Amino acid sequence: MTDPSPDRSAWSLRLLSAACILALAGIAVSVLHFLWPIPLMFALFMSVGQGAFGLAMLLYLGVIFIDLRRSRVL
Amino acid sequence: MSEDGLFSGDAENVIRWVSTGGLALGLASAAVIVTVLARKPPWRLTPPAKWMLLVGFFVLPSMTMLAGNVVGFHKTRQSCTQCHTMDPWVADMKDPGSSTLAAAHYKNRLINEDQCYTCHSGYGLAGNVQAKIGGVSHVLHYYITGVPDEIRIKKPFPSSTCLHCHSEAAGYLKIEQHVDAEMKPKILSGELSCFECHAAPHPKRKRP
Repeated sequence: MTDPSPDRSAWSLRLLSAACILALAGIAVSVLHFLWPIPLMFALFMSVGQGAFGLAMLLYLGVIFIDLRRSRVL
Repeated sequence: MSEDGLFSGDAENVIRWVSTGGLALGLASAAVIVTVLARKPPWRLTPPAKWMLLVGFFVLPSMTMLAGNVVGFHKTRQSCTQCHTMDPWVADMKDPGSSTLAAAHYKNRLINEDQCYTCHSGYGLAGNVQAKIGGVSHVLHYYITGVPDEIRIKKPFPSSTCLHCHSEAAGYLKIEQHVDAEMKPKILSGELSCFECHAAPHPKRKRP
């Protein structure tokens, strides 16, 4: 069966890929913070790391929303 | 490592465990996300991928971020004395001959550890959050705008921090002014600062 809304699928994939890359960036900063727990790394973890991860979560929620709309749940 | 071994309740050991756990969870989360990214794009929208991402995106990283905050808070408490900018103030605090309040608290062991953090952060969760924001701001200032020539406290030191420990102490209540009907409400409300009568907490000096 073909996807009834290929545009939404393409958007979901783009958003999901962006979310994955942002989450990896956030996780990378937090891993560095665990390995070198110096004040600079903590500042980076709090600003860049958690910021990137927060944005990744928002994009992921966006993908879930598009998915639910496509499935006509919402 | 402490003398009691890795399984003691020693704070450093607990932080070491939290740090190792956070590191492992972070790496596991990264592995899940990379696995999803490595598969062909249409697969990423299938139910197995969604379940993997629920774990890799939400469960594991949330715990990693939580562990990061725990470790960060612990290290932040120790970071005041790691910065050369604060050397003169730390030296004064540790000077047995100094008559400042910080030195009196230090040499009499009125605060056992994290002396800077204990007095310069508010009590409770809000105090921790404020201290965290302040600490990040200090580090960013250090690296971006540079340290100012004269370091001053951002807001007047709240009397409530002193009163948290002293207000019900027998020695405090013995002082006539502390229990005076006119002065007591002013002291408790913060209208009358402790430093109006008591010695300065730190020497007033510019950065060398």
